[in-house]
Amino acid sequence: MSVDGVDVTGVDRDTLTRPIRSFSTRYIAALAVALGLIGVWLFFYSRQLRHGLIVTNLADWGSGGGVPWGLYIGAFIWWVGIAHGGIILSAAVRLLGMDTYQPVARLAELLTIAALTCAGIFILIHVGRPDRLVTSVLPAWPTRVQWSPLMWDVTVITAYFVLTATYLALTIRYDVTRLRDRLPDRLEPLYSALTVGYTEREDEVVERMVWWIAFAIIIMAPLLLHGGVIPWLFSLLPSMAGWAGGVQGPSFLSIALTSAVAGIIIVAAAFRYAYGWEELIPRAVFQGLAKWLGFFSLIFLWLQLQQVITGIFAAPTTLQHATEVKISTPLYWVAIGLVVLAMLYAFATALRPDLFDLRALVGISVGVLFGTLTEKVLFVVEGLQHAHFALYDGVPGQYVPSAVEISAVLGTIGVVVLFFLVVSKVIPVVELHAIEDHEEVDA
Amino acid sequence: MSTDDGSMYTTVDEADRRLLEETEFDADLGAEMARDAQRVAADELSEVEFYRRYHDRLLAEFDVDDREVEIPDPDEVDADDVNAVDRVEEAFGGLGEALRNVGGEDAESRRSVMKKGAAAAALGLGGLGSAGATTGGEGDGAAGGAGGGAEGDGTRWGMTINLNNCDGCLACMVACNQEHNLSRGANWMYVFAFEDEGQGEETNFLPRTCQHCTDSPCTKVCPVGARHTREEDGLVLTDYDICIGCRYCEVSCPYGVNYFQWGEPDVPESEVDDDHQIDDRGRWVGSRPPEGVMGKCTFCVDRQDGQMGEEKVGTTACQEACAMDAIHFGDLNDPESDPNRHLREYRDGQENDRSDYPNRKGHTVSTFKLMEERGTEPNVRFVGNEPSPHAEQVEGPVAYEDVGLVDDRKEVLDRGAAANGGEEA
Ligand code: SF4
Ligand code: SF4
Repeated sequence: MSVDGVDVTGVDRDTLTRPIRSFSTRYIAALAVALGLIGVWLFFYSRQLRHGLIVTNLADWGSGGGVPWGLYIGAFIWWVGIAHGGIILSAAVRLLGMDTYQPVARLAELLTIAALTCAGIFILIHVGRPDRLVTSVLPAWPTRVQWSPLMWDVTVITAYFVLTATYLALTIRYDVTRLRDRLPDRLEPLYSALTVGYTEREDEVVERMVWWIAFAIIIMAPLLLHGGVIPWLFSLLPSMAGWAGGVQGPSFLSIALTSAVAGIIIVAAAFRYAYGWEELIPRAVFQGLAKWLGFFSLIFLWLQLQQVITGIFAAPTTLQHATEVKISTPLYWVAIGLVVLAMLYAFATALRPDLFDLRALVGISVGVLFGTLTEKVLFVVEGLQHAHFALYDGVPGQYVPSAVEISAVLGTIGVVVLFFLVVSKVIPVVELHAIEDHEEVDA
Repeated sequence: MSTDDGSMYTTVDEADRRLLEETEFDADLGAEMARDAQRVAADELSEVEFYRRYHDRLLAEFDVDDREVEIPDPDEVDADDVNAVDRVEEAFGGLGEALRNVGGEDAESRRSVMKKGAAAAALGLGGLGSAGATTGGEGDGAAGGAGGGAEGDGTRWGMTINLNNCDGCLACMVACNQEHNLSRGANWMYVFAFEDEGQGEETNFLPRTCQHCTDSPCTKVCPVGARHTREEDGLVLTDYDICIGCRYCEVSCPYGVNYFQWGEPDVPESEVDDDHQIDDRGRWVGSRPPEGVMGKCTFCVDRQDGQMGEEKVGTTACQEACAMDAIHFGDLNDPESDPNRHLREYRDGQENDRSDYPNRKGHTVSTFKLMEERGTEPNVRFVGNEPSPHAEQVEGPVAYEDVGLVDDRKEVLDRGAAANGGEEA
């Protein structure tokens, strides 16, 4: 889905480094919001640290009438999804040479790093003994990694984090060296560390390495993170009717891609708005992203349909029950509705470009992210409420996330905002390659 | 013990040695035999020679000569006789079995029998005479229909719960909660009262513990190996020192038997004895879990390890408390254990007219394991009718509150959450 007529090579280097060299009250305001969100979360989280997970609304499934996994796990999946989708899109841009999206490729990579961090935070606050994450996990790794899907998960997330960071570091060296005269002197030690040992001769090697990393990311996409280990956390457990089954992998991946495009749209639009980057990230980029959003939404909806139909037509009792409850939950339809809306809008603007409005697209992207988070939390919670062992159905129990849990979602959003605010002051968040062809740069 | 011939053979490691020393048998003999058994396996030592070497000392040590095992005199064994090897193997197999049965009917407790079994295993006897060493042909006949009579070596703790006997008095739950210092609502033993389709207004009961599955999903998914199966007796336990509290075991268990410690335990650490918490391997697996860690029924691991006295080995708190003879706990590999015997006797006690109906099975008693089709191989077997998917939980004759229990743990936890965790759970 290439978009014609996107050529940002006319944009100069000053525009590219504008975020680093400017400072505004709006920046301060955004910083305050981010820190405020994080503050609210830390305030609530300190209670959890003091009293334990009892301050959440989680409980035991079975005779306990609750769910042991809830919003924390739902949000964990959501962040991993955004991260995974982000890196796939950026890799696709590099691998397939989709130059149109080059201005947002690095934003997608940064979003991946930030989102993976948030996923990590959710693991940390989900477990009962975060103090043991290192002491218990490391010694157990060699013997448990072939067994526990949770261990696969931790392994793959770490691997992806390292891969993405390497990828970023390699491409940043190139930019930092060439833009050094426009970067602030007080960060000199950091820049020399980033570019240590850099010579122009490495460019070619790095380019090839980046290509291979991108290739690896694309190849591994259907297996790792949302293509594999995350859905396997659930789909491999036959005890829960709503979880088990082979469709979870594709379904999770579709959610990851949908959420990631929505996330990139929001981040890119924010930068464009804040720094007057109309030329650097032109409207056509967003129009292209909107088409991707529509396309991934369609796949997401298609996979939901697959699950609902197999769940109600002539399904085994428990699966049927789980599906019936799912489709009678109003919140599920809110989530689906938001994604349907995104799809319709994307396709409508593709047919009638004059309908396209960036603000509307951002609004719709926020809706999509809300929808995918909701769907994921419902998936986790309702899965646990309809086990095959049906005798517990008599135990009443409803799960509504507590303030502590909800604040964590806000807190991690704050973390992502803070991350972008800080990083954009240090390195160019759009690559030099976006505005200058290689030859030009070297010339 | 050192090997004088280099490092080709593993020596008996410390743990095994301690096990050997714990038994009242000669640890050096065991260690020596174990090494030589490896040589036999490596074809460096003939089985006949192995046998000759240890015959007398074994007889002296285990005093099995007056048992029903025929051990041929080594001097009469002809090393060239091809059948001799078979006979020797048979003899050793018999020896292994005899060791396991030593004291079965004697005054000796099952615990020491268990240890002898372990000693025999350490001695390498099982490996030499594997065919003969398998106990329990008779057990199969007794419990065959239910699947899971006596099979395999060693101890396999399990239960037979007779639903026809249970009257829903909740005494087992109370006993369990007290013995393990459980927090309110953490009902490791849980008694369902339910009505089922086609059974009218009749209320049925299903006491549910951890099923201590032989192929347990919970141990597979645990990322850190905290949830594990104890090899010596098949107990599924949680190492409270390692568990990170991810609750993956809880969501993978098909039976919903796990209870996480969401807040401070009701009973503080200072009031729980180490004896009840640390098992015979030195791991913290017993009594209620500390905060942030997973707990569930342990089949009273402290009792099985003899920490509450030898007479409590092979018993559980719930079984002891049950006045209706519904819960039977014991070694499923032992045909004479309480769960196997009860099933056999109960079956024999039910009318079954096979003279008029020659095609009938050997008995008319219905047994089941919970969701056996999940492939978890539970070690709890029920006598009675399995609840159908349409079974519905109802109020039982005894209310949980009346005996000081909480049914719906979420209520306790929600109160705790509302009070910012000020309350315990
Ligand atoms: S019943 Fe559940 S907790 Fe117990 S062993 Fe089986 S799977 Fe594990
Ligand atoms: S809660 Fe503890 S025992 Fe259960 S899977 Fe997690 S680490 Fe293992």
